[in-house]
Amino acid sequence: MRPKEPCDRRGADRLPSALLCGAACVSAALVFSIFAFLAAFSWPVLSGGQLGSLLSWHWRPLAGEFGILPMVVGSLCLAGSAMAVAYPLALGVCCFVHGCGPAWAARPLFVSIRFMTSVPTVVYGLVSVFLLVPVIRGAFSGSGFSWLAAALVLAVLVLPTVVLIIDTQFQAVRAEVRVAAAAVGLAPSQEMRHLVLPLSRRGLAIAAVLGFGRALGDTLIPLMLAGNAPRVPGSLLDSLRTLTAHIALVVATDSHSAAYNSLFACGLILFLATLCVNLGVLSVRGRRLG
Amino acid sequence: MAVAIRIERLSVDFSGKAVLRDASLEIPKGGPTFLLGRSGSGKTTLLRAINRLNECFPACRTSGRVVVNTADGAMEAYAPDTAVEVLRRRVGMVFQTPNVLPLSIARNICMPLEATQGMRGAEAEARMEEALREAQLWSEVRDRLRDPAVALSGGQQQRLCLARALALRPDILLLDEPTASLDFKAAQMVEELLGELRSRYTLIVVSHGLSQARRLAEYLFVLHDGGRVEELGKDVFRDKDALLTVLGDLL
Ligand SMILES: Nc1ncnc2c1ncn2[C@@H]1O[C@H](COP(=O)(O)OP(=O)(O)O)[C@@H](O)[C@H]1O
Ligand SMILES: [Mg+2]
Repeated sequence: MRPKEPCDRRGADRLPSALLCGAACVSAALVFSIFAFLAAFSWPVLSGGQLGSLLSWHWRPLAGEFGILPMVVGSLCLAGSAMAVAYPLALGVCCFVHGCGPAWAARPLFVSIRFMTSVPTVVYGLVSVFLLVPVIRGAFSGSGFSWLAAALVLAVLVLPTVVLIIDTQFQAVRAEVRVAAAAVGLAPSQEMRHLVLPLSRRGLAIAAVLGFGRALGDTLIPLMLAGNAPRVPGSLLDSLRTLTAHIALVVATDSHSAAYNSLFACGLILFLATLCVNLGVLSVRGRRLG
Repeated sequence: MAVAIRIERLSVDFSGKAVLRDASLEIPKGGPTFLLGRSGSGKTTLLRAINRLNECFPACRTSGRVVVNTADGAMEAYAPDTAVEVLRRRVGMVFQTPNVLPLSIARNICMPLEATQGMRGAEAEARMEEALREAQLWSEVRDRLRDPAVALSGGQQQRLCLARALALRPDILLLDEPTASLDFKAAQMVEELLGELRSRYTLIVVSHGLSQARRLAEYLFVLHDGGRVEELGKDVFRDKDALLTVLGDLL
């Protein structure tokens, strides 16, 4: 019996590892083929004379103008502003949960934030259409479907993601330093400021990068709340259109077929942005080894 | 005999399981006071009850009274208006396994000074050097103060933890099996260090080494299972055979 055991175990190990390896290969192949597909379809647009038309500030498909720059700017504005709200909030929540706030409130707060991850995006969108948009419409002028509305709700959407990443990092650091910090008489806020935050730099950077990527990639919130006017917003109360919402809109509406080509360029830009986000995470992770 | 710490009817539970039950003892100033007991009898828990460090662990409940006499007067450790951070600065602790912070050697000592007392610059560095000299580590680390503390050997880390505690100028030092994780030579060095520190600090040392206790102890308590604390007179614990008779069943 004895000598057989390692043999069996190896056999048992082989199947899951083969499955995992297969899954990894399929994923890699998928990602690569998506990239190849996007590149191939946008190639005629990018190489032909249409490039100039793509990189313009006007989206007028009927006039043959397919400029996607307003959408690029819209995506960056919205993701950036959503993160500007969500990130400090998430950091505050994590500090609160990790000792800076009263213990009785920490647990419920964290549990409710984790619950937020399971709420479907469309629910946030729908609720906001009926609650937030009228408030903005009433407080200012205009339709209420605006950069501001989308940014606030998108911030709520990415908040749990950012909180969970920072929390994981804080937990790891605090497991190491908590008792030692208490023993030298550091108050929880001092422990946070002098130990946990400085030692969590990597996790904080990763949370920012991934949160930004999540905000950039979301489609439904900007589609439902941002108003979708294809121009660069002049203020927070203006309407804007993101790349993601743009793709959804053009595909969904019966549009001039030449508009379709420009979508591949949008897709390619989003894909490359995601790639940059992941490379950003990798470089932050790798720096520790160096 | 001046009393440094008075413990009255101290009970500590972890998740409803009683670790200490109505323990009462008076620890004199100076010392060293040694605390012996079987592994798992609650020695570490008793030490942590003095500086309220048990509160860092979940599901711990403490009742009873602990009065710590510091240079600034008596502190009721568990009174609601006691600042636990101040108490912990007055009562330093060195753990069984060295727990240096993942910072440089210098920052391990200077960061707590900066965070708790706003001390930095030349003043903090002077205090650091003084503490490192007191812990007899200065000559070994003076040229590598910016290196990560985790790169030090076990014995050096243990002395760094001691220096970190000393830099805060405590009145009382709690030492939890300070030589248990060290090799013979490093252990000997820490023992010699205890001999020097006894004149300046009240030392409370948890130990499992009978011979170590016999050599170094000025006062000795035995913690029995169930939390009963027994004090042994010097005539008993200085005499090897008498000590073995009392503790034979313990060890
Ligand atoms: N943080 C903790 N959580 C739960 N139980 C604990 C904790 N610390 C100690 N205990 C329990 O208290 C008892 C005494 O532990 P300890 O004080 O470490 O004993 P000693 O130091 O004498 O070996 C043990 O049974 C241990 O399981
Ligand atoms: Mg112990």
